[in-house]
Amino acid sequence: MSNGKTPKTIKRFNKGFIIAHWVNAGAFFTLYISALPMYTEFFDWLYPVFGGPAGARLIHRIAAVAFMLPLFIMIIFDFKGFKNWMKNIFSWKKHDLMFFPQFLREFFGLKAKVPKQDFFNAGEKVNSWLMIVTTLMLISSGLVMWFPAFFPSVVVWWAYPIHNIGLGLAVAVAVGHIYMSLVTARPSMRGITKGDVTEEYAKDHHGRWYDELQEEKQQRKQA
Amino acid sequence: MADYIKFVDVTKCDGCRACMVACKNWNDLPAEPEEFTGSIQSHNTLTANTWNVITYDEQVTANGNFEWLFRHKSCHHCGEAFCEKACPETAISHTKFGSVVVDADKCVGCGYCVNNCQFGVIQLATYVDKKGKEYRKAQKCDLCTGRLEEGLRPACVTSCHTNCLVYDDKDKVLAEAEKRLAKIKERFPNANIYNPSGIKGTTTVYLLADKPTVYGLPEDPKVALSQIVWKDYAQPLGKMMLGATTMAVIGAAISTAINKGKGEHEGGQDHE
Ligand code: HEM
Ligand code: SF4
Ligand code: SF4
Ligand code: SF4
Repeated sequence: MSNGKTPKTIKRFNKGFIIAHWVNAGAFFTLYISALPMYTEFFDWLYPVFGGPAGARLIHRIAAVAFMLPLFIMIIFDFKGFKNWMKNIFSWKKHDLMFFPQFLREFFGLKAKVPKQDFFNAGEKVNSWLMIVTTLMLISSGLVMWFPAFFPSVVVWWAYPIHNIGLGLAVAVAVGHIYMSLVTARPSMRGITKGDVTEEYAKDHHGRWYDELQEEKQQRKQA
Repeated sequence: MADYIKFVDVTKCDGCRACMVACKNWNDLPAEPEEFTGSIQSHNTLTANTWNVITYDEQVTANGNFEWLFRHKSCHHCGEAFCEKACPETAISHTKFGSVVVDADKCVGCGYCVNNCQFGVIQLATYVDKKGKEYRKAQKCDLCTGRLEEGLRPACVTSCHTNCLVYDDKDKVLAEAEKRLAKIKERFPNANIYNPSGIKGTTTVYLLADKPTVYGLPEDPKVALSQIVWKDYAQPLGKMMLGATTMAVIGAAISTAINKGKGEHEGGQDHE
């Protein structure tokens, strides 16, 4: 790409995983924008964008359905990728814990030696967990707010603060996630758009994954 | 100005429903014929177009007979109103009369108030605008605030022929209520004055013939913890975070743009 010769690339994500990721991102953004005027008067100027309050509510509900799809998309179209993700985020080893202090040093421009990381680095693992938790909070409370007639009043009352807190956390997580991928790990964008990453990036950022791949290659050669 | 309240002495109600008619007339609310539900209660509950309703609860008395417990049900005009706290548009407010009113211009019909009123009072009405588009507004009894401004009493109160409904000086009414309570205690041992202190009292006060729960009213309503968490903690914090993250994003965008301008090399990645 950059200096004439094409760098070697490695497959990272399947179509299913990529589609799930972007449906999730699109739905999340739409949900956020469509509900901002419901959140506080300050954003009332957004109502006309959606054709009034009724339009905003409708769009929030349509996007909510889209928001619930990615899990199924992943399971149906890329079960392997899904399993790999699950396996990764449940695995916490020393190199994961060591990631954070080193990452902080790097973040502030200090010299750092980040230990070799899995397919998902420890930061991505934390991001995944926060996203899972906030998504569950938002979906469960959102459904209660959507269909209050089916739930006892106490549950309905609590749905509002839970949706509210989930929203605040989810937005913070999303902003962090977007910032990381745009500013500190730009080449990873290729992974979640085209599906592959440069070998160099894999080696630098996900050393343990890269090593595994190399090992597999060796074994295949020997076989 | 002395405080005035609406007082409902349910033991004086004979179930004539004149108040329901008066309310519909004064507020120009459409009649809502309802399916027969097997009860003599005309409407099951309050709706966006029915701001008061006489509820009938059958009750067995001490000597084995049964009798009807009537109650003129409408908005309590809570001192600390759940509907007002829940509204994201500050469309609900207290007037100088202690009535809780909805500003139709501000209301966007989100229904948050409906889901948070512990008395099930406020409801959404659906209207159709000139272009045929539907929109919703919250509706409920406004204590006839328009009439109060004219120095009149609420329409339902004027229509009541048994003195079950009164609108008068608060201290005077409450003192009389205590006397009345003492008088009926023998016939209704569970009688009580319903003016919940947990929500700083109400501007519509009841003398009930039985425990609040018999009428489907919460025994000791309080601003729900969920509302406190939502409105007093989560929302202000969320707004702060929203502001902070917005600034962070704008800051990041600007600094990225500046760095781009300096011809940052592709990838922008410097690992060790
Ligand atoms: C499946 C997921 C979701 C469902 C079913 C859902 C549903 C709802 C419902 C029913 C409401 C009440 C307003 C209305 O009647 O339209 C609401 C409000 C809101 N939603 Fe969602 N939602 C979901 C996800 C999200 C997400 C992901 C976000 C933000 C990123 C979000 C942000 C908001 C906000 C800001 C409000 C206003 C809340 C407030 O004022 O406290 N929602 N949502
Ligand atoms: S009874 Fe319900 S609608 Fe009336 S003031 Fe209280 S919370 Fe609001
Ligand atoms: S429906 Fe209207 S009055 Fe009720 S909470 Fe929403 S904006 Fe406020
Ligand atoms: S006070 Fe007015 S609005 Fe309220 S129930 Fe009586 S007549 Fe209806």
